[in-house]
Amino acid sequence: MEIRNLSKSYGRLKALDSLSLTVEKGSIFGILGPNGSGKTTTLGILLDIIKADSGEHLWFGQRPSSASRKRIGALLEQPLFYPYLTAEQNLKVVADIRGAAYNEIDDVLEMVSLRDKKLYKYSTFSLGMKQRLAIAAAMLGKPEVLIFDEPTNGLDPKGIADIRNLILEVAKQGFTIILASHLLDEVEKVCTHVLVLEKGKKRYAGPVNEALGGALIMEVAANDTEKLQAALSKIQAVKSATKQNGMFVLTVDEDLLPESLNKLLTEQGVYLSHLVVRTKSLEKYFLELLSESHE
Amino acid sequence: MNRLIKIDFRKYYHNRTFWVLSALYVVLVVFVFMGIESFLNHVVSNVGKNSQVAIPNFSLYSFPYVWQNLAYVAGFFKIFLALIVIIFVTNEYSYKTIRQNVMSGMSRVEFLFSKVIFVLFISLGVTLVLFLSAMLLGFAHTGHITTALVFGKMFFVPAYFLEVFAFLLMAMLFAFVLQKQGLSIAIFALYYYVLEPIIAFKLPDNVAHFLPLKMIAHLIDVPNSSLMKIFGVNFRETVSWMDIWGCLGYSVLFIVLVYLFLKNRDL
Repeated sequence: MEIRNLSKSYGRLKALDSLSLTVEKGSIFGILGPNGSGKTTTLGILLDIIKADSGEHLWFGQRPSSASRKRIGALLEQPLFYPYLTAEQNLKVVADIRGAAYNEIDDVLEMVSLRDKKLYKYSTFSLGMKQRLAIAAAMLGKPEVLIFDEPTNGLDPKGIADIRNLILEVAKQGFTIILASHLLDEVEKVCTHVLVLEKGKKRYAGPVNEALGGALIMEVAANDTEKLQAALSKIQAVKSATKQNGMFVLTVDEDLLPESLNKLLTEQGVYLSHLVVRTKSLEKYFLELLSESHE
Repeated sequence: MNRLIKIDFRKYYHNRTFWVLSALYVVLVVFVFMGIESFLNHVVSNVGKNSQVAIPNFSLYSFPYVWQNLAYVAGFFKIFLALIVIIFVTNEYSYKTIRQNVMSGMSRVEFLFSKVIFVLFISLGVTLVLFLSAMLLGFAHTGHITTALVFGKMFFVPAYFLEVFAFLLMAMLFAFVLQKQGLSIAIFALYYYVLEPIIAFKLPDNVAHFLPLKMIAHLIDVPNSSLMKIFGVNFRETVSWMDIWGCLGYSVLFIVLVYLFLKNRDL
């Protein structure tokens, strides 16, 4: 999937400002951004339900068409179904549109554990069930790409956990997935690549581990704080050490293992009472990135 | 085509509102067909009580006049069908399923055609109701039946189909553009009952004739009756080619307008 210079305005509001992007086959691509940053607009354009003002995009190396949309399964913002039809009938409508066989319906319902509810009307479903049905619908017709936009919106913690597990499971099956979310945890856990949007502009696009940078964070504490600080300053792999709540938060080289740090400190006669490795979280990175742009 | 029929069929087949409204329409129309003759005779004989000329009872049901008579009467109930069309087109917007449909791989043109097919099916259905009713009533009320008598004016049946089809496409246009159910019904009814009559009144006759609803209504003229002949009024007993082309033209125009409206719109 490729996007070139996509722009879209709603009146005076620029929802998307010449965005360019390439998503490779097989990657799990996260789109991050605060509310109103253009995530849904971008996905809406990719699915042809929103028309861009300028720019173009390609699916599978071709101009987008209804045929290319049949190779994409999507859940955009909220599940949309006919309330008076049952789960199964709703999926049959989708199957007819996508040219999928009806016998796939039981399989996808099984995946989202709604098979025993298939004869119930959609209007009787809870929000979590509706969301899961939408994921089932997205997987009908064996699509190559799945697009999930805020799939856990409005769900309770149990529902969020269910959907997250479901996505992790789907991710393992080798789909290309585009996942927009403001739940960073979600993106961090499953995504290989990430795009950070702010006010319709690209702030970062690339692999997740590059976004997280080449540094590790460790927390250390010892009874003798001053001796620890002196010892730390002598270790080259430790780039910075800041004191926080009686312990030191260190930024260290990626290849520094916690056991070697422990060994180096012991050699200097410092014995640690506390040692924790903290990976730099995407959340932290995300907030950093956005605060930079405000300065 | 088959696929579009299948997709749309499922949307209505399991919908109670659709069946209730359709059944209501059929019952209503059949009752009116059966009762209209005695009703009119009753009214006329009441009005003509003091008349010096004996007013003959008339039959609406004899071949070949039954075709035009019933087609004309049925024309009054097409607003009911417009209601069904508007409800189901605006439903797609209120459930946002038009979005889901397009996202899943329908093109906008396919979506539009699925609705045109829906309109086509309704038009065919009600035309069938008219055909069967007129056939049965005609056979029951015509003394001497010949083939020429039966088929003589049957062209009013396809004319009725065209009348309903063009009218429902217009309702579809209103629904696609306005998108909200209540609003579409209100504005369409307002246009039908108030706006176009006012516009028609303000315009010179030869221009007003080309207004869409005028054109559609003009397709099947008021039937002549022996009573009217007494008064020397004579309405058309034919369908004019100009009206046919006009209605076909409007049908195409309504579809094209919806297409232009949908083509570049966010859903």
